[in-house]
Amino acid sequence: MIPICLTVNGRVVSKTIEPRTHLADFLRERLNLTATHLRCEQGACGACTLLIDGQPARSCITYVALCEGADITTVEGLEDDPIMVALRRAFSKEHGLQCGYCTPGMLVTARDIVMRLSNADQARIRTELSGNLCRCTGYVGIVRAISHVVDERRRGELAGIVRQEGPLGPVGARPAGSNSGRVTNAPTAAPSARKETSLGEIALGLGGRQPNVEIKQSFVVSRSPADVWNFFSDIAHVVPCLPGASLIRPPAGEHVEGKMSVKLGPITANFVGHARIMRDDAQQRGVIMGAGNDQSGGSRAAGEAEYVLEPTASGGTRVMLTIRALLVGPLAQFGRSGIVEDIVARITEAFAYNLEARLTGAVSVDDQSVQAPLKVGTLFRQVMWARMKAMFATIFVGPKP
Amino acid sequence: MKPVAFDIVRARSLAEATRLLAESGGTARLVAGAQSLGPMLNLRLAQPRLLIDITGIPDLTRIEDTDDSVTIGACVSTANIEDGRLPGRGLDTLPAVAAHIAYRAVRNRGTIGGSLCHADPAADWVSTLCALGAECLITGVNGKRRLLADQFISGAYQTALAADEILEAIRVPRLSAGGRCGYYKVCRKAGEFAMAIGVVLNDLDRGVFRVVIGATKGRPIVITDARDLQRADESIDDDAILRVFDKHGIVDRIARRQKLAALARAYNQAMKP
Repeated sequence: MIPICLTVNGRVVSKTIEPRTHLADFLRERLNLTATHLRCEQGACGACTLLIDGQPARSCITYVALCEGADITTVEGLEDDPIMVALRRAFSKEHGLQCGYCTPGMLVTARDIVMRLSNADQARIRTELSGNLCRCTGYVGIVRAISHVVDERRRGELAGIVRQEGPLGPVGARPAGSNSGRVTNAPTAAPSARKETSLGEIALGLGGRQPNVEIKQSFVVSRSPADVWNFFSDIAHVVPCLPGASLIRPPAGEHVEGKMSVKLGPITANFVGHARIMRDDAQQRGVIMGAGNDQSGGSRAAGEAEYVLEPTASGGTRVMLTIRALLVGPLAQFGRSGIVEDIVARITEAFAYNLEARLTGAVSVDDQSVQAPLKVGTLFRQVMWARMKAMFATIFVGPKP
Repeated sequence: MKPVAFDIVRARSLAEATRLLAESGGTARLVAGAQSLGPMLNLRLAQPRLLIDITGIPDLTRIEDTDDSVTIGACVSTANIEDGRLPGRGLDTLPAVAAHIAYRAVRNRGTIGGSLCHADPAADWVSTLCALGAECLITGVNGKRRLLADQFISGAYQTALAADEILEAIRVPRLSAGGRCGYYKVCRKAGEFAMAIGVVLNDLDRGVFRVVIGATKGRPIVITDARDLQRADESIDDDAILRVFDKHGIVDRIARRQKLAALARAYNQAMKP
């Protein structure tokens, strides 16, 4: 817990808070100021918009601890504000609200439009409102209401209130004071360990569901399809080629249980899952049906991967991989499938290097040293290390027959 | 959702922030306006143990104005730039781009440096600063260094910053009097992350004619000499652009159309006299 002092609707408030508390929760739960609404909690819907230092801001992605000394104004604090009075009247007259859930955020954004954009036409008002979602009204009444108040202000009726420009930087930021600079509360326990779902409960593969991730990748290694096919037959040798992956227990027949950590910038995911691996020796084709849970973030994935081997002109093998998966939970909610594709592409690239290094004998098949969560730097060092080993092996031992 | 428990420390100086970063052993994350990191924290996609707030460091909102460039402190907000609070001679692009980033309520807290360090491939500042040839001024425990923006961004959500380094400011070279910068993004809805970004900087008086294709899966694609994408009559050569897409693995039919359209529109803006 840390102490915080800020001004809310003109009143100085001092409280002790958990550092992860966002501003909207602080106002609603600690100060009982419930006009500020919460919906998406990821900065998209605008329901939680309020004023920080007189400017609109999202209270769901602004943590209270970042607002030491800031001046917060909620809809409760704007009761007698002349522009807000005019807006409330106009919203009421034009049917600018129905269920009322988006209304506090709409009013705060509307007030900013009126104060900042004296020449806003309806098109501009719509653009400025794009960060506030309403599911009832179809926006027509809201836009008309704001338009009326913009006109009123242009006619000089609400001229008394002037917008003030603050210092440069994020609204709410103040120079760090004397009690800053100390880490006091760093959580010592590992972050959110979720209750582990028993793997037996998770169905393997897509089971007829539509995938939301579809990826085709291929890579080439220098050894023959027969060598590669043979290498793939031992899953305990394949898994160490995947950066960040390891087996939870020795494979039982077709059945494999493993885990994999992926790190991408601030994003971390630790998947635990199981899979069934089926191989068709005649066609040198393999199918993997799998499913897993992210133990830290709560995302879930299920899918099917197919690989086919094809000889290349130079005596090597092209490995063609098709992945079809269904991703649900926060990673999917984040809604950027290209990023999942990028992660898979980089894992595949690393896998190809690691596979090559083991096939050519540059790295022992039992070598577990290339095991780390996937990070660009780590990956790069691993790849360079594998390449160097391969190079030294070629120079000093000569290529294997 | 609510984020996983973390601690927040407010750094008083750059030296203190770099020291805290170095001491954290990779479990800390810097935070400025929290407008990109906040959603990731709330979704629990990111679970750092410690946030180091750098918005209380006065040096980071400094603006330095010289004849040929403007240096923008990392914590200057996007709304500050939108409102024309930079000495903008030859840099009209910056407020124009700023005005269409997310929403005003986000721009009031989101910072130019935070956006660049977050390195979301679809972020406007990533593509814009790469196109303008901006330089990143970096401070670490062992001193200072500079990197061009397109070298600073090393992949999706990845930068060249070492574990103890902080982006202090961004130096943006001014365009010459005849220089033009075109910018176009394709969004499903105003304020959402772009699906395609095209930026063209046509400033031949300074010997610069650069093209950036943004909102890719990783680093923006930077083409240093846009003449490679021109036909003899100086119109844009669609086939040449499609070959660039082929080379960079942009295969999705819709993505190709969107990126082609964004680039062609940015190009036409940049070629207007």
